[in-house]
Amino acid sequence: MTKPIIEVKDLAKNFGKNQVLKDITEQVTPGQVIVVIGPSGSGKSTFLRCLNLLETPTSGEVDFAGENLTTLDTKRVNELREQMGMVFQSFNLFPNMTVLENIKLAPMKVKHVDDATATKRAHELLKQVNLDDHADAFPASLSGGQAQRVAIARSLAMDPKVMLFDEPTSALDPEMVGEVLSVMQQLAEQGMTMVVVTHEMGFAKSVADRVWFMADGYIQENSTPDDFFSNPQTERAQDFLSKILM
Amino acid sequence: MKKRLILFFALLLALVTGFTALTTTANAATDNSLTKIEKKGTLVMGTSPDYPPYEFQATVHGKTKIVGMDVAVGQKIAKDMGVKLVVKSMSFDSLLVALQTGKVDMVISGMNPTPARRKNVAFTHTYYQGGYSIVINKSDKGIYKNKDSFVGKTIGAQTGSTMYNESKKQTSGTTVKGMTSVSDLILALQSHKIQGVAMEKPSAQAYVANNKELAAIPSDFNLSASDTSASVAFAKGSTALVNKANKSVDQIKQQNLVNKAYLPAAGKYLKTNTVNTSMFHYWKAFLTGIEYTLIITVCSVFFGFILGVLLSLARMARGGVFKTALRWLATAYVEFIRGTPMMVQVMFVYFGLGLIVNLPALTSGIIAISLNSGAYVAEYIRGGINSVDNGQTEAARSLGMSSGATLRYVVLPQALKNIWPSLGNEFITLIKDSSIVSIIGVSELIFQSNIVRSDTYRGVAPIAVIMVLYFILTFTASRILNYFERRMQHD
Ligand SMILES: Nc1ncnc2c1ncn2[C@@H]1O[C@H](COP(=O)(O)OP(=O)(O)OP(=O)(O)O)[C@@H](O)[C@H]1O
Ligand SMILES: [Mg+2]
Repeated sequence: MTKPIIEVKDLAKNFGKNQVLKDITEQVTPGQVIVVIGPSGSGKSTFLRCLNLLETPTSGEVDFAGENLTTLDTKRVNELREQMGMVFQSFNLFPNMTVLENIKLAPMKVKHVDDATATKRAHELLKQVNLDDHADAFPASLSGGQAQRVAIARSLAMDPKVMLFDEPTSALDPEMVGEVLSVMQQLAEQGMTMVVVTHEMGFAKSVADRVWFMADGYIQENSTPDDFFSNPQTERAQDFLSKILM
Repeated sequence: MKKRLILFFALLLALVTGFTALTTTANAATDNSLTKIEKKGTLVMGTSPDYPPYEFQATVHGKTKIVGMDVAVGQKIAKDMGVKLVVKSMSFDSLLVALQTGKVDMVISGMNPTPARRKNVAFTHTYYQGGYSIVINKSDKGIYKNKDSFVGKTIGAQTGSTMYNESKKQTSGTTVKGMTSVSDLILALQSHKIQGVAMEKPSAQAYVANNKELAAIPSDFNLSASDTSASVAFAKGSTALVNKANKSVDQIKQQNLVNKAYLPAAGKYLKTNTVNTSMFHYWKAFLTGIEYTLIITVCSVFFGFILGVLLSLARMARGGVFKTALRWLATAYVEFIRGTPMMVQVMFVYFGLGLIVNLPALTSGIIAISLNSGAYVAEYIRGGINSVDNGQTEAARSLGMSSGATLRYVVLPQALKNIWPSLGNEFITLIKDSSIVSIIGVSELIFQSNIVRSDTYRGVAPIAVIMVLYFILTFTASRILNYFERRMQHD
């Protein structure tokens, strides 16, 4: 077996007295697509944000490429974050910059890539997400689907090893969900390692290598999509599936 | 909350004791006073130049300069010491503080050597023995005879002057109104806000000679010699300096130089002064005013903004003892500045900081206003930063940007856009508020207008002119700011 790129060991996270994550131990190997599903408020976002230390774990370890993030200094954490792109439910594009500037900002300010190279790469990425004609548009003029594809391109500009998605299609009108999912599927096919929190069961079935079912602060099940959807083991999962499939 | 208050007052106390300690040491350091001046080669004279014929501004060959009999006295003293005279102007109230804090070497400003003043400074022998008159509107000439005719009426006098104190003491049933400048008092008289202005005889004569609407009546104040005589003030303890100056003063007395030479010379300036009192004639004075007002405003906005950014960041620092201390300090600073008048801050910087480093008035003004503006800007920026959605920070951090880079490239630009209107307001407020530095003698618009007023004996016209000028400045500024605001609107 190849070495895991992300290893989570005994991860716990409390917000005050609220124990959101209780004890999670899982790993992600390179090239894998993990879909995390679970009821609302079960801690999926919190878990994802612990992976790139946007949230500081209360206890336990998060290892990225063999380095324990929780023990590193800020500078090293910043360096490792570059390698973990993150896409948010609400896009979080920078509203005061054009699409092109959104994509170029981090490569130029963090990696000190020169303007010409960054521009060239940004256009390539925009082509990849089918938005090259919107390079000079401001985010406010984009539809939700377009904005989310720009956000994906912006993350890819840092050449990450892993992409984290937190409900990337939840804020979209139904007719725009497809365009975003197909970009994600393409990315998966190109071999990107992905951890995706989503309610899109179709995507989970067709793209995921593993499904992690999260509830009550634990990953309750870790199985293939086929196993999970046809034969859920825990009562929690059966209950959850019966509700969403109805 | 209580703890906070205690900390705050402790800070305040430390500040005040520090300041007092400094003042005392400054006072103690003396009697190489004369050698010090000789070494320096200049003698700095402080005066409040709105008191003709003692001292006033006159336009000589297109340049404004301070002239009058007191300046002639100063020149004689400097000449006898073999040094050059430098004249510094400031408000009458500020003169003795300036002397005590070493901003000026001596004060000659028609000042009476009263016992109260003697406690704080050293006086020479008197160089001039005057008396008091009361200036009234000519139309009231039959009504008022002397100080006792003003029952139920109002007399004006220069704040901080002997006339002011004596008018209060020696009249009953009369309201005494104090104003900083004599030209304001004359204006108040002409607009019937007050019925008389108490001032020294020569001044009264000068005003009456130059303004047909005015008349002078005797004051009949009961006065001791020290109340009617004018002396030169030096810092307390500078005996050598006073002795040397006394020789000059005695000569002035013996040869009757004031009446024979100085007053007639001053009168000549007064005459040339009233020939052309059109406001256009003074365009250069107003231009200087605009120039300084803009210099002060632009510099203060610039430094105030930088300070504001730093303060706002300090106020948002979290975690660690150091960061907490920083946050408390910044908070205390902002609260303190916002809780004290800007005028006091300006005087504190000029006179207080002046004990440590000798700053020119313009620099002091810019520093004080920047320090003040910084506190306000800090609050705007803090609000602006808080108004930027947290998702923006998270997106930037997830791209590997450091917290500094996130702030600089992502959060601050958006925060600035949000608070641009408030910052614009602050800029426009500063254009107007910069006028406060006129009290320390910076020649910005208000100061210049006062010069023109005492120069021309015209009370209202210069005020109208600067009103229009201020409006042009603020209106232009707000147009420019609007232009940039529109350019920033992308969403
Ligand atoms: N910053 C925070 N401070 C305090 N509590 C928080 C914070 N973030 C999340 N929580 C709490 O943690 C719990 C899990 O939240 P989280 O957003 O991780 O759930 P989720 O599974 O992503 O839910 P959803 O499907 O609604 O997005 C919730 O009860 C939430 O209120
Ligand atoms: Mg969530």
